[in-house]
Amino acid sequence: MIKKFIHQFASPKTYLYQINRAYKYIFYSSLFIYTFSLIWGLLFTPEDFVQGNSFRIIYLHVPASFLSQSLYVAMAIASVTYLIWRVKLAAYLIIAIAPIGAMVTFIALSSGSIWGIPTWGTWWQWDARITSTLILFIMYLGLISLHTSFSNHEKADKLLSWLVIVGFVNIPIIKKSVDWWSTLHQSASITLTDRPSIDPSMLYPLIGSIIGFFGLIICLVIISSKVQIIKRESTKSWLKDYV
Amino acid sequence: MFNLAFKSLQEAIYMSGHGIYVWSVLIIVIFCLFYAFTHYKIRLRQLKKRLDESN
Repeated sequence: MIKKFIHQFASPKTYLYQINRAYKYIFYSSLFIYTFSLIWGLLFTPEDFVQGNSFRIIYLHVPASFLSQSLYVAMAIASVTYLIWRVKLAAYLIIAIAPIGAMVTFIALSSGSIWGIPTWGTWWQWDARITSTLILFIMYLGLISLHTSFSNHEKADKLLSWLVIVGFVNIPIIKKSVDWWSTLHQSASITLTDRPSIDPSMLYPLIGSIIGFFGLIICLVIISSKVQIIKRESTKSWLKDYV
Repeated sequence: MFNLAFKSLQEAIYMSGHGIYVWSVLIIVIFCLFYAFTHYKIRLRQLKKRLDESN
């Protein structure tokens, strides 16, 4: 019964129908939230007592760092779904997310490096958080190149799914690296369990920038998954009515 | 909460010497997002065109 439900709900046809309806709303609302939060954060929040104005990079760095890991989690969920229930859409999503994940991780790494110059006095340090994020970036690139090297799509999907699951071990390492090891990177300012250690005047635009960036990346995943569906389902007669 | 943190535009750009870092990160983020959206939109248009031609 679960299998039947998943196959019905996650068919490329239903998916295309739903995302075509939702795309514009997600895109424009996210763009508005992201722009508003960035202007708020970059120009209206007070200067940080310790870091000065360089702390404003937080509004660009944190959303990217958060999304770099979240996208990998989404890929891992899609991999499990594909391997257990053989949902084609899940396989399309894995390869649709990978390049976007690589781009977002690149933003996280480069913004972190630039932020490191005025705060740490160095743009790179082989500490646990930065190194594990670099590994995540390399993993994204590896998954993309592996998928393109296969001519048999089904084999590539299966192998990719297994590799994503194996690589998932890196996610808790990234998350916990600042607690497990003594690192230059600070520990999380916002957690689900504790009160945020950041002042509300700085926190609200940060939450806004995370939500806005999240929405924009969702839109990118939507377009990228559409590209994958058209590529892989191009022989299907229904496709023309849904793209 | 919505008081401008800088007295002038010049001060906002300079940010006490940190502007170069903040604005360069902003440029990277905008460039990446703009490039990704444009790339996928173009790719989607090409595929749609090919699909129309094949039918």
